[in-house]
Amino acid sequence: MVSAALRLEVETFSVAAPATRRTEIALRDVSVAYPAGREGVKTVLSGIHLEIAAGEFVVILGETGCGKSTMLRLILGQEFPTGGTVEVDAKPVKRIDARCGYVPQKYSLFPDRTVLGNVMYGPENAESRFLGRLRPSYLRFRKALRAEACAYLERMGLRPQDMNKYPHQLSGGMQQRVAIAQALLMRPPVLLMDEAFSALDPSTRASLQEQLHAIWHESRPTVVFVTHNTQEALLLGTRLILLGRHQEDRAHKSNVLLDMEIPTARLPFARRQHSPEFHELHEYVKQLAYKSSSMNRDEDLTQSLTPEGSL
Amino acid sequence: MKNAFHPADLAGIQVRPSRLWTQSLGWVLFLLGIALYVNLSVARHKENPDDRVAPSAAQIYQGIKTAALEPAEEDDPLDPGATLAERLTHSMLWKDTVASARRFLIALGLLVPAILLGLHMAIFPYFGALFQRFVLFFDKIVALSLLPILFIAFGIEEWSKIMLMVIGVAPTLILDSYNIARSVPREQIVKAFTLKSTNLDVAYRVVLKQVLPQIINSVRLNLKPLALFLFAGEMIASTDGLAYRIAIMRRHMGMDIILPYVLWVALLLFVMDALLRIANRRLHPWYQPL
Repeated sequence: MVSAALRLEVETFSVAAPATRRTEIALRDVSVAYPAGREGVKTVLSGIHLEIAAGEFVVILGETGCGKSTMLRLILGQEFPTGGTVEVDAKPVKRIDARCGYVPQKYSLFPDRTVLGNVMYGPENAESRFLGRLRPSYLRFRKALRAEACAYLERMGLRPQDMNKYPHQLSGGMQQRVAIAQALLMRPPVLLMDEAFSALDPSTRASLQEQLHAIWHESRPTVVFVTHNTQEALLLGTRLILLGRHQEDRAHKSNVLLDMEIPTARLPFARRQHSPEFHELHEYVKQLAYKSSSMNRDEDLTQSLTPEGSL
Repeated sequence: MKNAFHPADLAGIQVRPSRLWTQSLGWVLFLLGIALYVNLSVARHKENPDDRVAPSAAQIYQGIKTAALEPAEEDDPLDPGATLAERLTHSMLWKDTVASARRFLIALGLLVPAILLGLHMAIFPYFGALFQRFVLFFDKIVALSLLPILFIAFGIEEWSKIMLMVIGVAPTLILDSYNIARSVPREQIVKAFTLKSTNLDVAYRVVLKQVLPQIINSVRLNLKPLALFLFAGEMIASTDGLAYRIAIMRRHMGMDIILPYVLWVALLLFVMDALLRIANRRLHPWYQPL
């Protein structure tokens, strides 16, 4: 059971967005439904009302099929809501653009480009188009960009000899490091990560979590991180959004089961995981998620439980 | 220690033949084919020394010499003092090869827009909506049935044959490149847009670059249908070309010319396929075929 002090803290932060900071992402009364043949319409998300402040690290947690990736695609502009509006940087999202950086779980790199080619692709596009690349100043820009990309990649743990490798020559962890560098070198105001570390082994995942936190701490982009791993969610985020599957018969129709600031985010990253508060919170969120899953379906929940304490 | 070969291994799935076995087995059917032909030829020549159906090795050698060093019957004879290079470049085989290769390469060039159409259909939804159904239907039309229309539209000269090849292969190539381009993971396209790509960047610098090795493989697979349509056109209405010569020689039972021509065509296609395969590997070192 969660302690009284922690419960108080959790409740204090529940359904709260910092009022003082600029709103970077806003989802207003958003719903998403698909035609589903004879069943009529299948609602994936409904009643979503969220405001994400600039610089927040928001983690969306939920069981498979609860709509967390759909929510990410709405922010990205890959999908559009059937009801409500989505805004990024106070402008409605109408298409995929460079306001959001994106790191998917897989296929995150262009296979035909080397590590450096992948990382430099975005800034090169931003600098100039086809004819602009014939200017002498473009060569100078490219030289400077190359140096910056190399420095960034080295910071992400890549060795100089890895720079000219193709993605298929890298391990999954290395590929994700490059994908993060590729997205961040564009300096997007928002970084969207869709189960970005799910396919990695525990040690690589831990190392990448630490690196991501360090980068976020340093440059404070707004991060929306989708995961089904409770521990990862509580370790990385400053705010947790727990989603449940949409239930037509439920009076309270929003998929958002919990929206809270994570109290342990104030602790230093290295100590965070080992603090008793973290374990208490972990248990609390896990039980809450488990309870909501049990209410939602009768199927065997052990299917979605992993040793790391995921839902 | 390596396991010794056992006859039961021939039907095994988990066996790993040595390099020597693999290389040797690759030649077995060629040798078997030659042996069967020689056997047949010898048997026929025993019955009839003037047999023309299965020419002997000497007759085939003579046929190759005639085709590669002598001008065609319809052309002027060469000066007896002509050099070897002059003989080769004025020979029947050279003339026919150049005529067929010219048609083949023009058709191949005209198929490039077909590849780009397939790519655009896969990436741009309105393009896909406009063309997909039409191409699917067009693909079912038997190209050879269009030959009379092509003769009326383009005459019996070069263009009717070239258009037959283009019309015969284009729908397959369009649908192939469409399917290949569709198989590019959506994440790649989304990622490209988040990296400030324009629509054309995504089409040509992301998708086309990624699918080019597969499209080249598709072109390789379509080389034979292309040759098939070329042969159909040349056999029906032509005054030169490899298939024209084969059709003419059939009338004279000239198997000593037909057989080398058939092998020459196969060799040309084999070399073209090998060159495309090598170029594909060199140009796309990142490509990992499944």
